[in-house]
Amino acid sequence: MTADTNKFVIPIGPQHPALKEPANFEFWVDGEIVTGASVRLGYVHRGIEKGAEVRTWTQNLYLMERICGICSHVHATAYTLGVEKLAGVEVPPRANAIRQLMAELERIHSHMLWLGVAAHEGGFDTLFMYSWRDRETVMDLLEKISGNKVHYSANLLGGVKFDITPELATEVHKGLDFLEERNRFYLKVVTTDETFIGRTRDIGTMTTEKAEFLGAIGPTARASGVARDIRVDAPYLTYEQFPVKVMTHTSGDLHGRFIVRIHETFESIRVIREILDHMPQGDLTTRVPRRIPAGEAVSRVEAPRGELLYFIASNGSEKPERVKVRTPSLCNWSTVLSLAIGLKLADMPMLLSGIDPCFSCNDRSISLKRGQQGAQVWSWEKLRQYGIEYYR
Amino acid sequence: MASTIGSLGAAEAVLKPFATTITRPQPERLEVNIHPDNLLAAVRALVDESWGYLSAIVGLDRPAQLAAEGMSQPESAIDVLYLFCSGAAVVTLRITLSYSQAVIPTISGIAPTAMLYEWELREMFGVEVVGLRVTGHLILADDWPAGVYPLRKSFTGFNQPIVGAEGA
Repeated sequence: MTADTNKFVIPIGPQHPALKEPANFEFWVDGEIVTGASVRLGYVHRGIEKGAEVRTWTQNLYLMERICGICSHVHATAYTLGVEKLAGVEVPPRANAIRQLMAELERIHSHMLWLGVAAHEGGFDTLFMYSWRDRETVMDLLEKISGNKVHYSANLLGGVKFDITPELATEVHKGLDFLEERNRFYLKVVTTDETFIGRTRDIGTMTTEKAEFLGAIGPTARASGVARDIRVDAPYLTYEQFPVKVMTHTSGDLHGRFIVRIHETFESIRVIREILDHMPQGDLTTRVPRRIPAGEAVSRVEAPRGELLYFIASNGSEKPERVKVRTPSLCNWSTVLSLAIGLKLADMPMLLSGIDPCFSCNDRSISLKRGQQGAQVWSWEKLRQYGIEYYR
Repeated sequence: MASTIGSLGAAEAVLKPFATTITRPQPERLEVNIHPDNLLAAVRALVDESWGYLSAIVGLDRPAQLAAEGMSQPESAIDVLYLFCSGAAVVTLRITLSYSQAVIPTISGIAPTAMLYEWELREMFGVEVVGLRVTGHLILADDWPAGVYPLRKSFTGFNQPIVGAEGA
């Protein structure tokens, strides 16, 4: 109990504050009702922006991709777009179309991951398991294209590594048909199941004005009627050739956030089919110099969680002077802290997961169990040395 | 593209009274250098005009090169960039602060989203943000030493080589 307010402060986190990632929230409560909230981040802060300054432009591509295990491709894309802008390089249209295709597959996997997490927080574990089982389909497609399920590493400075062959295109079409059917079922569940509606409708409602005032972005903002989407507002890659529709909803509550994300999944499926059917011909890569001309560039892309902004400064050398990453989750925190007030404490887990927060969780040590040796904790450096020796 | 150019033109008209220099580094970008004293007025002018939204605040450390013998030593500086976006248009308000006077007023009273960005700027670059009503750390560890700002170029770790760097 704090002396000045005579109210209870409930700490949630840093271990698994509703979702399985680290952050610390403090909610001031009066009985069941939340009267104030604060946040403490940084439990998995890895100093990536600092790390970027001592790595080459190419090494950084791999570093940036590892900022996030959910939207890895979109980070690498934002970075490459910025570097290519500074280098004055035009990327072949086929490479850009493949980048867009990967980005939209990634959005489907991210939205389905979120659907599962959010359903789980609300106590709907069947929906959680269904959506995660079905999400494997899109993960498998990403693996078939790139060889990896999480860090597809599709981008190169100046192009992409993988082509979409006609056989792959057929596989993707098949997977999309299944995903479309499953998402129709999910849309039916979230719009007709009475308990589900009871836990989401009119909870955490944010008006359009409030969403704009608080700087909400991505699906969180679009569920409050803010028609803002970088893919449409500032088209990059081939989004002019293969445009997407901005999906909005007017309810502004948790329910609206479910509906917007499922509709966005349909829109991603539609645009991927269009890309596959009208894939531009041509090369996959173009040359990018080792040294990037001095200057500053801003690149913006629409990540699954909203606008992702990269500010890149070059001093003309082989390494960047500064790479600033402004991720979408950071913008949406203030909406949670503001919307929490007046709600019940029991609504906090769903409210927190409603913005689809991402902590880019990726620790720097790992526990390995090998044979009879038992558990060992390895530092990043030791693991790196092990990797070098292993492949020598 | 036409709407982007129009949008940048509108921002230029609004910001002209506060600018020391105005440039267009890229077709979709407008960069406006302003004196720190004009920061609040410039942000207020953009917000009153409902021009876009604050998308990011970027710190940029620019330590001075060692002066040649006999020359006076220039002072190191930190640039603070306020990035406002509207559609495809990006407007940058750039202020330059010397190390000895790394102080800015908070703009969170006008643009509430600035709070987290300013908090991060204070922690990472040691820029004092007057009026920012938060204390303690946002990102750095609780026992992080005072006066150590990790994104300044002078910080190279706590006497440990940066692992994973080229050649390390």
